[in-house]
Amino acid sequence: MAADSVAAVGQPVIEWDTLAARARSRRRWTMTALYAFLIVVSVPILIPYLWMFTISISATTGGTDTFVLWRAVAILGPAVFAFWPLQAIFEDGKALQRARLVLVAVALIALAIFVAPHLHEHNFRFMWNRNFVDELRGYGGELIQQFPSVWVAFANSLLLAGAVMLIVVTVATLAGYYISRFAFAGRSTFLRSLLVLHAFPAMTLIIPIFLILFAVSEYGWILGEIIGLGTIGGVVLVICTIELPFAIFIMKGFFDAVPWEIEMSALADGASRRQAFVRVVLPQVKVGMFAIGIFAFIRGWEEYVFVRTLLQFEKSNWVMSLYLFWVADDIMGVDYGMVAAVGVLYVVPGLLLYVFTQKFLVQMTLGGIKG
Amino acid sequence: MARVELNNVRKAWGETVAVDDLTLTIEHGELVSILGPSGCGKSTILLMLAGIYAPTEGELRFDGQVVNEVEAKDRNVGIVFQSYALYPHMSVRQNIMFPMRFKQVPANEASRLVEEAADLVRVGDLLERRPSQLSGGQQQRVALARALVKEPQLLLLDEPLSNLDATLRMTMRSEIKSLQAKLGITTILVTHDQLEATTMADRIVCMKAGRIEQVGTPDDLYSRPSSLFVAGFIGAPPINLLPGKAVDGKLNVNDFSLTCEGAAAGDVTVGIRPERISFAEGGIPGTIDQTEPMGRETLYVVSCPLGSIRVLEAGSKAHRRIGEAVAISFDPSDTLVYDSRTEALLGDVRARAPS
Repeated sequence: MAADSVAAVGQPVIEWDTLAARARSRRRWTMTALYAFLIVVSVPILIPYLWMFTISISATTGGTDTFVLWRAVAILGPAVFAFWPLQAIFEDGKALQRARLVLVAVALIALAIFVAPHLHEHNFRFMWNRNFVDELRGYGGELIQQFPSVWVAFANSLLLAGAVMLIVVTVATLAGYYISRFAFAGRSTFLRSLLVLHAFPAMTLIIPIFLILFAVSEYGWILGEIIGLGTIGGVVLVICTIELPFAIFIMKGFFDAVPWEIEMSALADGASRRQAFVRVVLPQVKVGMFAIGIFAFIRGWEEYVFVRTLLQFEKSNWVMSLYLFWVADDIMGVDYGMVAAVGVLYVVPGLLLYVFTQKFLVQMTLGGIKG
Repeated sequence: MARVELNNVRKAWGETVAVDDLTLTIEHGELVSILGPSGCGKSTILLMLAGIYAPTEGELRFDGQVVNEVEAKDRNVGIVFQSYALYPHMSVRQNIMFPMRFKQVPANEASRLVEEAADLVRVGDLLERRPSQLSGGQQQRVALARALVKEPQLLLLDEPLSNLDATLRMTMRSEIKSLQAKLGITTILVTHDQLEATTMADRIVCMKAGRIEQVGTPDDLYSRPSSLFVAGFIGAPPINLLPGKAVDGKLNVNDFSLTCEGAAAGDVTVGIRPERISFAEGGIPGTIDQTEPMGRETLYVVSCPLGSIRVLEAGSKAHRRIGEAVAISFDPSDTLVYDSRTEALLGDVRARAPS
């Protein structure tokens, strides 16, 4: 045995195998603890979405049965928690992967047997039938047509969020570049005030903003039609104003990371200032532009308070958040399945956007480190 | 290829003067090095020639034409920065192609030129890589290819070698020099490394605080530095500079009197290169303080009545020991005497050790 010869020389015996085993087990337990923590903290975030989704495809008009909901939770809850013991039991990465697949398969089969037969799409009828309220209450003569088509609200939301995104990205990119590259009087004051503006609670401005938009509508002639009270343009500008300070600050940081020499090189290579900006500098800050664009879009998509205050006068101007509010206001208690269904439609675009653009958002929080 | 002239050029940002009243002519195909410590305005000159900065006063001429107002993109100047400034989102090929995009060159002709330029600096097989996948030396070559591909009339190199390791620096030094000679392109090399300047340049422009101290061949600057600054800046190990006083035909350095040949009065500084001092019987007595074997030579620091003197002796082995009593001497023709106040060389003054 090697230990004898080592001991014979009079040196301490080092058991490399023991040390390696100890490091392995320590790593395993750290991962197990980490999984436990992540599962526990994610439950309060995931459960409401799960409920909303399950209710939207299972609840019936007038019904208060919750058995589908509980069945779904009873299957998915343990399934999610089971990830944790799996992590502790399986040491080998491949075996762990296989165990997880088995777990997912079991959960899916259980869902198919116990939950699937009770699912239906009836709650989503608002998507093709805008007279759902009249139908619920029974036709009493002529149609009230209380709601605009949900697709109008959906399109309005897209328009609002898209316009906010476009304006914020354009303005913040140009402003960030200027602040990063040019020295001008009051530059540092400007930067500091950007941060103060970001910290300022915009809600406190809601009455002045209302008055400004009202004045624009009253005295702004053609402008009143575009950015006055009750126009999507007006809300877009208000949200942009609130979003811009932070976005400019972020973009400034990204531009700071682009060396001046690259730009000078481009100029010497024969590019004009604009060509150097577009072809050489902008590609370096692409990640930042994506990130602030996504945040701006989501901000516009989820906006409620300002649209409630400034936009709800015309049904044709409703956005998704207003639509959801009025649906909930009208038929909650009678058909909460439909409220959940509207919620699902409202959540999906933002969710998809997050899923597909995570990469950029993570890079932004790292402060524009490029790979 | 261009003849470049700077006439009374001044560049200032408000109160800060980067370059002051600078006049310099660079001939066709010449390799001139602008040498000076950081902050002396040498990079500013480069950026003015490239058209990034506009001079506050004075004129820049390319081949006799004033180009002050000509935009950077129209000057046809190639530039290589210390950081190489490669475009990280482009492949090597796209990087070298970039300057060609702004020229009226047919696509196949342009890509031929790109490959030629890449082969010239031996990065022909790296064309599809990204700059981040290249070593420092390769990035440097790519930057050089990008600067050369459009056949510029002037090549500007801003500290091109200082990010490379010592061996690579030596290789690139000779490569750039031979490339420059082959292409015959007017080149300005900005550096703070005197070795880079003396080994590569036909002429050196030594600068201090925005002004030219001396212009000349590397040998001029080494053997006849026209100011105390140039004397101290050029040469490794540095020159011995001994502050003293000239009184009645004597140069008093510390407590020691040297004979003054020529007319000098007041505070002066005597400069002697370490390799111009030798150990000799009957010279100025002193003792060895320190020995530094440097390879081919050995540097001794000798403490003597003149002060602490550096003496460079051929031979890799230090055969004198610390504490050993020695005597040093020098030839009066090897001494440089400067006016301490104006820092200017007193051309006809020499110092002689008493015999």
